[in-house]
Amino acid sequence: MTHKLTDGGRVLQVGTLARVEGEGAMRIAFEGGDVADVHLRIYEPPRFYEAFLRGRAHTEPPDITARICGICPVAYQTSACWAIEDACGVVVPEEVRLMRRLLYCGEWIESHALHVFLLHAPDFLGYDGAIEMATDHPDVVELGLRLKKAGNALMELVGGRSVHPVNVRVGGFYRFPAAAELRAFRPELERALADALTAVSVVSGFEFPEFEQPYEYVSLRAETGYPIEVGSVVTSAGTAFPVSEFAERIEERHVPHSNALHARLVGGDAPYAVGPLARYSLNSDRLSAVAREAARDAGLGDTCRNPFRSIVVRAVELVEACHEALRIIDGWTDGTAPSVEVPPRAGEGYGASEAPRGTLFHRYVLDAAGIIRDAQIVPPTSQNQASVEADLRAMAATWSDLDDHALQHRCEHAIRNYDPCISCATHFLDLTVERS
Amino acid sequence: MTALVVGLGDPARGDDGVGFAIARAVAARALPGVSVLVRRDPATLLDLWCGHAPVVVVDAVRSGAAPGTTHRLVVGPGQPPLPAGSWASSGRGTHAFGLAAVVELARALHRLPEQLVVIGVEAASFGHGDPLSDPVRQAVPAVADLVVELLSEEVPSHVPR
Repeated sequence: MTHKLTDGGRVLQVGTLARVEGEGAMRIAFEGGDVADVHLRIYEPPRFYEAFLRGRAHTEPPDITARICGICPVAYQTSACWAIEDACGVVVPEEVRLMRRLLYCGEWIESHALHVFLLHAPDFLGYDGAIEMATDHPDVVELGLRLKKAGNALMELVGGRSVHPVNVRVGGFYRFPAAAELRAFRPELERALADALTAVSVVSGFEFPEFEQPYEYVSLRAETGYPIEVGSVVTSAGTAFPVSEFAERIEERHVPHSNALHARLVGGDAPYAVGPLARYSLNSDRLSAVAREAARDAGLGDTCRNPFRSIVVRAVELVEACHEALRIIDGWTDGTAPSVEVPPRAGEGYGASEAPRGTLFHRYVLDAAGIIRDAQIVPPTSQNQASVEADLRAMAATWSDLDDHALQHRCEHAIRNYDPCISCATHFLDLTVERS
Repeated sequence: MTALVVGLGDPARGDDGVGFAIARAVAARALPGVSVLVRRDPATLLDLWCGHAPVVVVDAVRSGAAPGTTHRLVVGPGQPPLPAGSWASSGRGTHAFGLAAVVELARALHRLPEQLVVIGVEAASFGHGDPLSDPVRQAVPAVADLVVELLSEEVPSHVPR
């Protein structure tokens, strides 16, 4: 909805954003032809997770925090497990890390397939949504549904079910799937890999606005391989720090127009970005040969600074996740214990992993009995909020001549570049009452 | 082809559990050649109903009628779309990819069963952890009877185009 202002300006107000996870709104104010103000407003109510984690047992965060999101529960489970294990001084065996990575590949596949094909592709092909697009491009939608189904099936196989998996526990898993069960899934994954390669060629044929942003990129970087389930933090400015320093390096601030906190790197006031573009730009050298070749064929360089091309990077990450899942399955042997004991101790622990939409940090403080005394969760969407607003500010300036419908469509497209999960990001300010 | 009955919803959300309750009541009758399933995510229907006929989907609905009222809609190919507002299914986000959106996606992809009937039971409330409300709970046996009846009769699959 638009208000024309008497001084020739106008305000575009979109009450409910479509095709994003959760409830958000957007407000852009123009004065003359200039953009005066841009607010991405996250009005989904606060959810109090950090508050009600306090007082719970140290074994509970994987199951409790998984409920923050139906699209990326594995990200929450994984970051929570690392953080609790860190607090308790336990290092899990390599097999546990590999199985976490395999489960996480399932989540990347289902989440990226959903976003690439059902949420984001309609923007590029000129449709209001996937249903409208399906009539003219059934093959594109079928490709997405097939990939999403493969991701869901992998999550079911490893996690026990595709939404909010039940097989994850602090210290590992309740049960490892048998090598034979994993191998039986190979044909579906091979087909998914072929579909993912098709996906890269489909989306790289879309038209992309010429638009680049200079944000500092933040991502995990692992000792080997593309960062998925673990790593330490690196930035495009050349900074590197262990996950245990995230609370000192990243500052969360409340802004009046949103129930999600805005995050900034300490010492810098410019926005930073997490997510596929950051991951890719900081780790393209770590992609498998097949994913690297797909990226090259899609016209991607070693880095990518155009947020609209994030759809291509997501497709490349689909290739990487399918390939990586096959690699883990092929190397899997039975016989190791699915978990280790994690006896509680007093301390603080940190964990991070690469959710489909970016780095997800967890921090817990435990007492000697393992009761959680403090919890902090920094989800990717709140870290990206400032970048989303900066993108809108930069782009809206060049779009001020568009009519409202076209302008709204362009702006929503720009927001969807980040695959925002608003439900994850919703937060609440600490309220202080001063009386005199 | 075997018949399929799917109860949709979430039993942890008050009257949204009515699809599950009816599916269980139908399953208890152990009808030969009839598969009965419950699902939380309507999107699973796209694959689930392939190769089945007839297909009956039961879900909670909010159209403004009295709680417990039963709506019966034939939704095969060539039929009009489900009224999207009543099926909590604007297709807006993906957490709310509801039944109406799934039906339309299936139609576009030519995945709609030839014989599909959707039964909606008017809900009173969707409170977290609540049981079914009285009028909805009381409607369950009669709706289960209706499902059984539908399975035994010829379900009209097409209207002339």
